[in-house]
Amino acid sequence: MSDIDHLMRAIDPTPHAPEQGPGARELRAAIMATPAPGRRRSWLPQRGTFGPRWPVLASAVTAAAVAVAIGVGLPASGPATEYANAAVSIKKAEDYFSVTITDPAADRRRFEEAFRAVGLNVTVKVVPVAPDEVGELLGPVVPEGFKWHGSIGTQRVTPCASAFCGKVWMPSDFPGRVVFGVGRPAKPGEPYAEDVAFDPEGEEAMAGYTAHGKTVAAVRAEARRRGLKVGYRLLWNSPDGGFSDQPVPADRIKDDWTVSGSRDHSSDTVDLYVLPGPGAGPAPDPLKARTPQWYDDLTD
Amino acid sequence: MTHRDRFEAVYDAYYPAIHQYAARRTSSPDDTADVISETFLTAWRRIGDVPEGERALLWLYGVARRVLANQQRGASRRAGLAERLRDELAADRPVRPVDLEYVRAAFDELPERDREVMALAHWEGLSSEQIAKVLGCTAVAARTRLHRARKRLAAALERQTSMTIAMGEA
Repeated sequence: MSDIDHLMRAIDPTPHAPEQGPGARELRAAIMATPAPGRRRSWLPQRGTFGPRWPVLASAVTAAAVAVAIGVGLPASGPATEYANAAVSIKKAEDYFSVTITDPAADRRRFEEAFRAVGLNVTVKVVPVAPDEVGELLGPVVPEGFKWHGSIGTQRVTPCASAFCGKVWMPSDFPGRVVFGVGRPAKPGEPYAEDVAFDPEGEEAMAGYTAHGKTVAAVRAEARRRGLKVGYRLLWNSPDGGFSDQPVPADRIKDDWTVSGSRDHSSDTVDLYVLPGPGAGPAPDPLKARTPQWYDDLTD
Repeated sequence: MTHRDRFEAVYDAYYPAIHQYAARRTSSPDDTADVISETFLTAWRRIGDVPEGERALLWLYGVARRVLANQQRGASRRAGLAERLRDELAADRPVRPVDLEYVRAAFDELPERDREVMALAHWEGLSSEQIAKVLGCTAVAARTRLHRARKRLAAALERQTSMTIAMGEA
C-alpha cells in the first residue's frame, strides 16, 4: 500500500463505524411511520391494493350544519380527548391521535377546529389532488423547522372505511407552525398539489409507458395520443449530483432533448421532466427558482 | 418479505456505513443527521427499487451523495424525523489528529470531483467498479478519475510539505 493510501486512511474523519443508538432506532421507526410510497411510485402497489377506500363526500353545507352537534367531550379545563364533526373525527390515544377524514372537501376550518379541540394547534389547507389520493393527509410540514422534544408525523392505517384513516403524533406543546394538507378532488384541469419532490431516478405518469430516456417529441406524441396536454419542467443537475426542477414554457424545450420522467400535473395534463439540452442556458439559482409548494399560501 | 421487513433489514445492515459516509462529509451533527434521515427516507419511499445484496449499499451511497448536494433537501427535517439522533450526534463528534493537518490541507485543495473519488476509494473502501455504480459512470471513467486524483493529491502533498519546510526555515 502506498503512502497516499496510508495518508488518506489516516485523515479519515470518521474511521470507526458508529453503533445504532436509540436515536438511530427512533429514526427508523419515524421513517416507517411516514406514508408508504404513493401512486407516483410505480415500483410499489397502488394504494388501492392495500385496502378498500370509499370516499364519503358530503357537501360543505352539510358539514357546517352538523359540526357542533356531534362535537363531544370538551371539558371546561384542557382539550378534549375526542372530537368529531362531519369532516373529521379525532381521538386521542396514549401517544398519538387517531384521525378519520370523512369529508375531504370540507372547509379547512372544520379540520382545524377538530385538531384544536384535542389540543393540537395546526393549520390545515384543503388542496387539490388526483382522484386516488382524495382524503389523503399531507404533511405535516413545519415551515420553520421542528426543534422540539418528541417527534411529529403521520401514519396511514388500513383498511379504512372512510376517505382517510391514520395516526398523527406531535407534541401538544409545540409552539411552531404545523401545516397539514387534506386532499380534495381536483377540478378538471386544476393542478394537483405536489407533496413529494420529483424523483429523477424515474417517475412515470402514463400507465404502461416508460418516458425515461425517450426524446421530448416521442413522449409528447404518446401523451397526445392519450388525449393529454403536456407541461414542461427542466430538471437541472448540478455538477455535484444535486437537482432541482424549473417549470418552463414549451418554447424553452427542444424536441430532441431527453425526458427523465413524467408526472400527472392535473386531470388533463402531464408534466415532462426534461434534461436540459444544448442551448438550455445556465441553471437558475435553485432558491430563486423554487417551485411553489402547496403550503406556501395559507390564506383561503 | 414485506416492504417493512425489507426496509428494516436494509436500515439495520447499512445504518453504520451511511452514518459514517454522512459524518465524513458534513461539518455539523445536524447536517449529518439530515443526510442520514433523508437517505433512509428515500430508501423507505423507494424500497422496491433498492437492489439486493451489497449493491444496496452502493445504491444508498448514491442517494446520500445526491442528498448532500441537493438544494431541496429537507422532507425529513420538516417532519422532524431525526431529532433524537441530532442530539446523539452532537455529543459524539470525532477529533482530527493535528499532526496530519498538512495531509488534510492537501486533500482540501483538490477539486471536489477528486475528493469524491478519493474518499470513496479510501474511506468507504470501494473499488473502481463500485465507485462507478455510486457515481453513475463507467468503471473506466471511475478508474481514470481515481488515477488522476491520486496524482493531484501527490502533487498537492509535495507542495504542502515544501511549504511546511519553507515556513520552518523562515
